[in-house]
Amino acid sequence: MTRTCDVLVVDDEPVVADAIRLVLGHAGLAITTCPDAESALAHPALDDCRLVICDLMLPGQSGLEAIQAMRARRPTLPIVVITGYATPTHEEMVLAAGATAFLPKPFDDSELLNLVRHALAQTDVAGEERRS
Amino acid sequence: MKPGIGTLAILGVAVVTAAVIGVMSGIIIRTHQGALVAQLTRSADQLSETIASSTYYDMLENRRDAVHREMVTIGRQQGIEKVRLFNGVGTIMFSSDEGEIGRGLDKKAEACYACHAAGRPLQRLPIHARSRIYRAPDGHRVLGMIRPIHNERSCWEAPCHAHTREETVLGVLDVNLSMTAADGQIAHDRRQLILLAVLAIAASSALLWALSRQLILRPVAALIAGTRRVAQGDLSTSIPATARHELGDLARAFNDMTRRLNEAQRQLAQADKLASVGRLAAGVAHEINNPLTGVLTYASFLEKRAVDDAETRADLGVIVRETKRCREIVRGLLDFARQTPPRRQSADLNEVVRRAASIVTNQLALARVRIDLELAADLAPVPVDANQIQQVIVNLLLNAADAIAGDGASPGGSIRVRTSSVAVPPRGNVTIRAAKCPKGCDLLDGSVRLAGMPTVRVVRRATDCEAVVHLDPVYGRANHRASEPCEEGVLAAYLCPSCRTRLDLLERRCAECGAPMFAVQVTGQGQAEWCTRKGCPGSRWEAMDALGPQPYAQIVVEDTGRGITPEEMDRLFEPFFTTKGTRGTGLGLAVTWGIVEGHGGSIGVESEPGKGTRFTVRLPFRVPEPGAESGGADVAQRIPMPDARGTPGPGPVAPDPGGKT
Repeated sequence: MTRTCDVLVVDDEPVVADAIRLVLGHAGLAITTCPDAESALAHPALDDCRLVICDLMLPGQSGLEAIQAMRARRPTLPIVVITGYATPTHEEMVLAAGATAFLPKPFDDSELLNLVRHALAQTDVAGEERRS
Repeated sequence: MKPGIGTLAILGVAVVTAAVIGVMSGIIIRTHQGALVAQLTRSADQLSETIASSTYYDMLENRRDAVHREMVTIGRQQGIEKVRLFNGVGTIMFSSDEGEIGRGLDKKAEACYACHAAGRPLQRLPIHARSRIYRAPDGHRVLGMIRPIHNERSCWEAPCHAHTREETVLGVLDVNLSMTAADGQIAHDRRQLILLAVLAIAASSALLWALSRQLILRPVAALIAGTRRVAQGDLSTSIPATARHELGDLARAFNDMTRRLNEAQRQLAQADKLASVGRLAAGVAHEINNPLTGVLTYASFLEKRAVDDAETRADLGVIVRETKRCREIVRGLLDFARQTPPRRQSADLNEVVRRAASIVTNQLALARVRIDLELAADLAPVPVDANQIQQVIVNLLLNAADAIAGDGASPGGSIRVRTSSVAVPPRGNVTIRAAKCPKGCDLLDGSVRLAGMPTVRVVRRATDCEAVVHLDPVYGRANHRASEPCEEGVLAAYLCPSCRTRLDLLERRCAECGAPMFAVQVTGQGQAEWCTRKGCPGSRWEAMDALGPQPYAQIVVEDTGRGITPEEMDRLFEPFFTTKGTRGTGLGLAVTWGIVEGHGGSIGVESEPGKGTRFTVRLPFRVPEPGAESGGADVAQRIPMPDARGTPGPGPVAPDPGGKT
C-alpha cells in the first residue's frame, strides 16, 4: 500500500514549507503541509505519516504544545523541530517536550535530508523490531 | 521664615558677649569711680590740712579777720565749693560763703552726721569716715571733708582765753570740693566704655556672621542645593568639597554617593540597552532565518542539480556560501546578546585572515581602499573559534575602511594586515582576573573598569587622607584611579575595603624605592604586589615573572584613515558607541573586544588623528586555564562598560611587534 503522506510539515512560512517539499519530495517522500498547529492536529495525515517537521513559533497554538499533543497520540512518531531562534535552552525544552531532533534555521538541503533520513531509518528499525 | 543656624549662632554669641562685656564694663567703671573719689578725698584732706596749718597762728593770736580772709581766698579757687569752720556747738565761725557766718548747725546736719551719728562726738576718725558726698541744691555732687581741730596747750594758754583746758574739740574745719569735674570724667569714661562694648559686640557678631557664612552656611547651602538636584534626578551633580573640616568631609561623602548612584544608574541603563539589543537580535533572528531557510535550501538543492553547468553551479555556490555567512552573522548577533564562550579548534590564523579579507574585498574596492596582507609563513595553528576571530578581523577591516573612506567621496588609502608570533612578557600585558584579600574577600571591582577590564579595589590610608583606589589590573602598568588625591611620595597603609585587613607586607621591599609592598592574592597565580609609596610605579608578580614571556599569535591591522581622537579612544570599546552616525551600530568593537577577551587575548589600539590607526590583537597559543580566565561566562564581566566617573577608558596599549623583553 502506498502512503498518502510520509512527512507532515507544520510551518506558517510558505517559503520554508515549499523548500522542504522541494527537497524531500525530490527524495521520493510524500509531503503534506499545514500552516498552524490546529490544522495539523486535525489533519488525518497525522495518524498516517512517518515523520513530522514542526516549527516552534506558530500562530495560535505554539509548536511546543503541538509536539506534546502529537507525542500523546503517536508515542513513537519521530518529530523534528525547526526554529529561527535556536538557543541551547530552546533545544533542551523541545527535546524534553518529546521531539526527536532539533534543526536550527536556516539549513541547507543536505542538512535537512540527512536528519530526515536518519530519523526515518531509526523508526524503520524500530518498526521492524516491533513486527518481528 | 525659620531662623537659620547662622542667625541663631550670632544671636547666642551676641547675648553672651553683651553680658560679659556689660559686667566687665560695670566693674571697670565702678573701680574707676572709686579711684577718682579716693583721689578727690585725699586732695580734700590735704587741702583741709593746709588750711588748718596756715590759719594756726592767726587762730592763736585771735586774728579773726586774717582767718576769714584766708578762707574766702581759698574758697574762691576753682573746684572748691566752700570752706568753713564751726565751733564746738555748731555755730559757723568762718566761711567762704559769708552769708552763713553766725548760723548754727544742728548735729544732725550732713556735715556733722559722721561724728555725731553714734550720739557723742568721736574725736579721731579715719579719712573715709570724715568725708561725705552729697548733692548741692542744683543737683551736682559735692565731696565734703571735715577736720576736727583739737585743743592743745597753746590754745588754752593763748592770751585771748577763748578756750578752756577742758575742751577737747575746739571746732571743725569743713572743706567742700565740687565733684563736677570728676563726675564729668566718669560719665565720659562710661560713654566710651559703652561705645567700645557695642563695637566689640558688633565686631564679634560680624566676624561670627562672616565665619559661619563661609564655613557653614555656604557649604550647607551647596549641600542642600546638591541634594535638591539629586532629588530631581540630576546625578551628574557635584558640590565643591574644598573645605578641610567636617563639612568638607560631608561634601566629599555626598559627591562619592552621587557618583556611585550615577555609576549604578549608568550601568543599569547600559544593561537595559543590552537587554533590548538582545530582544531585538532575537526578533531579527527569527524574522531573517525564515527567508534565509528558503534561500539556502533552494540554492543548495539547485547547486547539486546543476551538474552539467559548472558556471551556474559556481554561482549557486556563492549564494550558498554567502547565505551561510548571513546565518553566522545572525548567530553572532545572538551570540553577542548571549556572549557565548568560544568553541575553540586549532586553526590557521593566516587562513582566517585571508577569508576575512576576501569577504570585505568588494566593499574595500568600492571605497578605493587597498589591502596588503603580510602573513607570517611559519605561524603555528592557534586554538581559536575561527568564526569569531574572522568576525574580529572583518570588524577591524570594515572600521579601517570606514576611517579611510569617511562620509564623502573616498580619498583612497590602504590597510596593512600582518600576522606574526610574538613572545609577550608578563609585565605590561598580563591582567589580574581574580583578586582576593588574605581573608578571602573579593577585591575585583567590575563597576570601575580600565580598558574594559575590572580593576582591583583597595583602600589607601595615609596620615590625613583615606581613599578608595582602583588598581590598574594590568601587571606593571600604574594607571590607578583614586577617589581622593593624596600627597605624592607619602607612604600609605593599604586595606581590604570589606574586612579592613592590612595588605602591607613589611618584609617585601619595593625594587624601585625600598618602601614596603602590599599584595593581593591571585587565585592559582600567587600574589601581585605594589609599592606602598604614593606615585611609585614599583610592582611585582613573581608567579608571572617565573612563567616568563608567553607565546601569542599577533594580528596587526593598520590603516591610513582619519585616526581616533583621544576622546573617542576613551569610549572605543563601549557598546553602542559609534563615530559613524547612523551607519554604525556601535557594536562592532564591543563584540570584537568581547571575543578577544573571551579567548584570553588582548586588543590594543594606537592612533594619530589624521595619520591612521593601528589595532593589535594578540591571541594565546596556549589555552588559558579555566581558573585564570575568571568570569569567562559571566556576561556582566565580559561586556566592556564605560569607566566610572568618565575617566579615560582603554588606554592605548603599546603593541610590541618585535616581542622584545
